[in-house]
Amino acid sequence: MEGIVAEIMAKYNYWIYVVLMMIGFYAMIGKRNLVKKLLGMNIFQTSIILFFVSTGAKKGGSIPILDKQAALQGAVDVNLVVNPLPHVLMLTAIVVGVSVTGVALAVMLRIYRKYGTLEEDEILHKIETE
Amino acid sequence: MKLPALLATLVTGALLLYGTADFAVWGDPKSPPNSNISVHYVEQAVKETHVPNIVTAILGDYRGYDTMFELVVIYCAGMAVMGILRRREDS
Repeated sequence: MEGIVAEIMAKYNYWIYVVLMMIGFYAMIGKRNLVKKLLGMNIFQTSIILFFVSTGAKKGGSIPILDKQAALQGAVDVNLVVNPLPHVLMLTAIVVGVSVTGVALAVMLRIYRKYGTLEEDEILHKIETE
Repeated sequence: MKLPALLATLVTGALLLYGTADFAVWGDPKSPPNSNISVHYVEQAVKETHVPNIVTAILGDYRGYDTMFELVVIYCAGMAVMGILRRREDS
């Protein structure tokens, strides 16, 4: 039992991301309002971004901006600089996320113009009765 | 509708939490993501690109094409939004 508690304490960041991700997942599949579904997708994306950035964390590490003269002479301690690669990759993911959110909002606006509602079941009812 | 969604969420969350057992401890400098290619970037990026900020060096130099074609992604999204929201003149 103590081994499990120590394991959870050492990795509690992953537990937070899983909880956030499941909040977003439930909003995506359980809610009927399209805007709420989109918000759920954004929460899901945020949890993935946080997860990736946290994989690059190092205990005692500082930001990945180096002293140029010292770095040119090779005086860099890798263990004291956090991993810059996840940060770069998540910049790309943020750009894609913003694009997807924009297109989804545009599609929702179009749906609202045609059906006058954003509730999924009401839209389905209107499609069937037309 | 709500109950199956809640069940699916709980099952997926439990599987993900089970999967975290294989991850490295938070902040471990020797974990797999911190010990392969990123060591090269931290040690060599300033020598190879003369940019003190390593994130900028990777974003603008090693992954320059990736960053450039991100513009294409935004352009496509903008064109899609324009196409979706345009009102036709005859209607």
